[in-house]
Amino acid sequence: MDEQPSSKTTGKPIKCRAAVSRQPGEPLVIEEITVAPPMAREVRIRIVCTSLCHSDVTFWKMKDYPAIFPRIFGHEAVGIVESVGEGVDEVTEGDSVIPFFMSDCGECVDCRSKKSNLCSNLPFKVSPYMHRHETSRFTDLKGEVLYHFLFVSSFSEYTVVDIAHVTKIDPSIPPNRACLLSCGVSTGVGAAWRTANVETGSTVAIFGLGSIGLAVAEGARLCGASKIIGVDVNPDKFEIGKKFGVTEFVNAGECGNKTVSQVINEITGGGADYCFECVGLASLVQEAYACCRKGWGKTVVLGVDKPGSTLSLSSFDVLHSGKSLMGSLFGGLKAKIDIPILLKRYMDKELQLDEFVTHEVKFEDINKAFDLLIQGESLRCVIWMDK
Amino acid sequence: MSTAGKPIRCRAAVGRAPGEPLVMEEIMVAPPMPREVRIRIICTSLCHTDVSIWKLKDPPGMFPRIFGHEAIGVVESVGEDVDEVTEGDTVIPIFVSQCGECEDCRSKKSNLCSKLPFRVSPWMPRYDSSRFTDLKGEVIYHFMNVSSFSEYTVVDVANLAKIDPSVPPNKACLLSCAVGTGVGAAWKTANVKEGSTVAIFGLGSVGLAVAEGARLCGATRIIGVDVNPDKKEIGKKFGVTDFVNPGNCGDKSASQLINEMTGGGADYCFECIGVAALVKEAYACCRNGWGKTVVIGVARPGSELGVNFQDVLDGGGKSVMGSVYGGIKAKFDIPILLKRYLDKELQLDEFVTHEIQFDEINKAFDLLIEGQCLRCVIWMNN
Repeated sequence: MDEQPSSKTTGKPIKCRAAVSRQPGEPLVIEEITVAPPMAREVRIRIVCTSLCHSDVTFWKMKDYPAIFPRIFGHEAVGIVESVGEGVDEVTEGDSVIPFFMSDCGECVDCRSKKSNLCSNLPFKVSPYMHRHETSRFTDLKGEVLYHFLFVSSFSEYTVVDIAHVTKIDPSIPPNRACLLSCGVSTGVGAAWRTANVETGSTVAIFGLGSIGLAVAEGARLCGASKIIGVDVNPDKFEIGKKFGVTEFVNAGECGNKTVSQVINEITGGGADYCFECVGLASLVQEAYACCRKGWGKTVVLGVDKPGSTLSLSSFDVLHSGKSLMGSLFGGLKAKIDIPILLKRYMDKELQLDEFVTHEVKFEDINKAFDLLIQGESLRCVIWMDK
Repeated sequence: MSTAGKPIRCRAAVGRAPGEPLVMEEIMVAPPMPREVRIRIICTSLCHTDVSIWKLKDPPGMFPRIFGHEAIGVVESVGEDVDEVTEGDTVIPIFVSQCGECEDCRSKKSNLCSKLPFRVSPWMPRYDSSRFTDLKGEVIYHFMNVSSFSEYTVVDVANLAKIDPSVPPNKACLLSCAVGTGVGAAWKTANVKEGSTVAIFGLGSVGLAVAEGARLCGATRIIGVDVNPDKKEIGKKFGVTDFVNPGNCGDKSASQLINEMTGGGADYCFECIGVAALVKEAYACCRNGWGKTVVIGVARPGSELGVNFQDVLDGGGKSVMGSVYGGIKAKFDIPILLKRYLDKELQLDEFVTHEIQFDEINKAFDLLIEGQCLRCVIWMNN
């Protein structure tokens, strides 16, 4: 599709291509759709590139609510502002921006507090709609509604995002690196940096070395952790993990008679100061808690499990261990402040991003990204919109 | 005539069968082994943990046993290698050890000594043996490293804090467990910030001590939750500003009500009863993002805490953690708390609702089980 001068599209619906998911677990279909203009406090964005995250896959496979179809997935991306709705001053046409699924309204008690990134004005939920007006900006060519995903929906040449879900960035940053901070890498680095506040010289254990787990390792490395133990069932992850600061590897499938937590308790002489669960399994969270150091250890949950899953801990352990358990959404980051900080650290060559991108494909090959991730063959596959 | 180095014959209240009244008997108390101290108990008070374990037929219940772990006494003699205290010193025994040497004792972040880890043991912590025998020569088990329902007991030096003798003993003994646990949970474990909101599930002595601790930390709203409506007036004395009776919430749960009252949850929630379902309630009305849910109550053996996975994730930085003895390092913190009492900042007097003599000790059990007392102080008569 030809680039149209913005004055021609401002205020009008845009026809463009999107990768529409019509059935759970079925390949996405590239279709022409219509993207309505942004409403008040919204921004319409032309996506430059986007990457696939496991959370997209999880909700794409799901049959029951909060899964809903037809839907435009994708929530890790970078783009350029095409037009803004009323009441938007923060960004303007032509700005490079990163959209993100965690709202940062800047006004509520949580956004104003240093201690929380859980915006209470526009709370996190897996919604089919735009956050503020609870409607969709997408229709297919028959005029039927297409649902949004995580307030971003980046598997489309154009999308509409609430101003609370977007931040302006330095345009000189390579887009296939910037987009990673839209979700995966920020979540992982943030979990170590903001949620856990990893201290220099400490020991960290990370369950699951996907992009999130590796980003936790990178974050822990930046915080000065001296020992970073990576746990995975895929032995290839050790070599990969070393690039991100993993110092020791435990193959969860090769512990013999012992549990993973027993092995880690032995290696660390009593448990890691911080344990991160980056897979999304209640049983692994329990393992992580079991090899977290008594007295002060923190167990941080990042992975997303099936709806209805219950974490079960012995009351005795909770009372007597001195350990604490908490979750981390988007790594505890306040997107508008922290994404620029992380981008700067990348430009200053402190934060590694390049190694996360293992594959790059064109938009029409987007289903390849799903195959690669599901088969465990990629970290981040970047999908380029062709312009 | 010195008793040092010799066994002492004295009276003790012996638990001989689960749930049965304690029996006043003459027993023998052996001299302290190295790193141990023999103490003459001045007064002691009954704590719910004594009652819970006293009722148990299976381990950790064990009989015959000398219960009691909240007390104050005077050193009668010391074993070898004890320099910290000497004969005549006033001491408070504490069930949590503090060896002073291990990584945990040396860290500011933990009070869980790894050298002498806490367990509900029938023995002395260092040697796994008993210092008590009855007149038939049969072993009587210890309780929680203290065993204060006896005129004399033996305690490891790691389980003792030396204190200023001028503090009234029937107030000082409270810091040995309940008040130390409650105040500490607010002060040390949760680190309650000024101006914050606190919710406390269970207004027994520990819960009221949490309120007192939160009040001292400057919390502006202290919500007390209890099914006993009398606790409303009692709670006010300790800083409770709002009262919720879960029996009177209509269709709503206590946590729903508290979420409404606070517009999203309390900054700190404390569970002071020992019921997993109540820990879940406390977690449910704890503020997302930064809230801390602190578990203090001792649950039944085998109890499991189940929380919804998504709630943990959605809670963000909201955390859940336990607190043993309020995160307090007794040897440093008990003297600090006692000084705050003498400076009239920390309230202790109102915890003592009853005082009895040693031979009436079973009355203390009745009063606590019937929910009619906070702390019943038991005076040894000597």
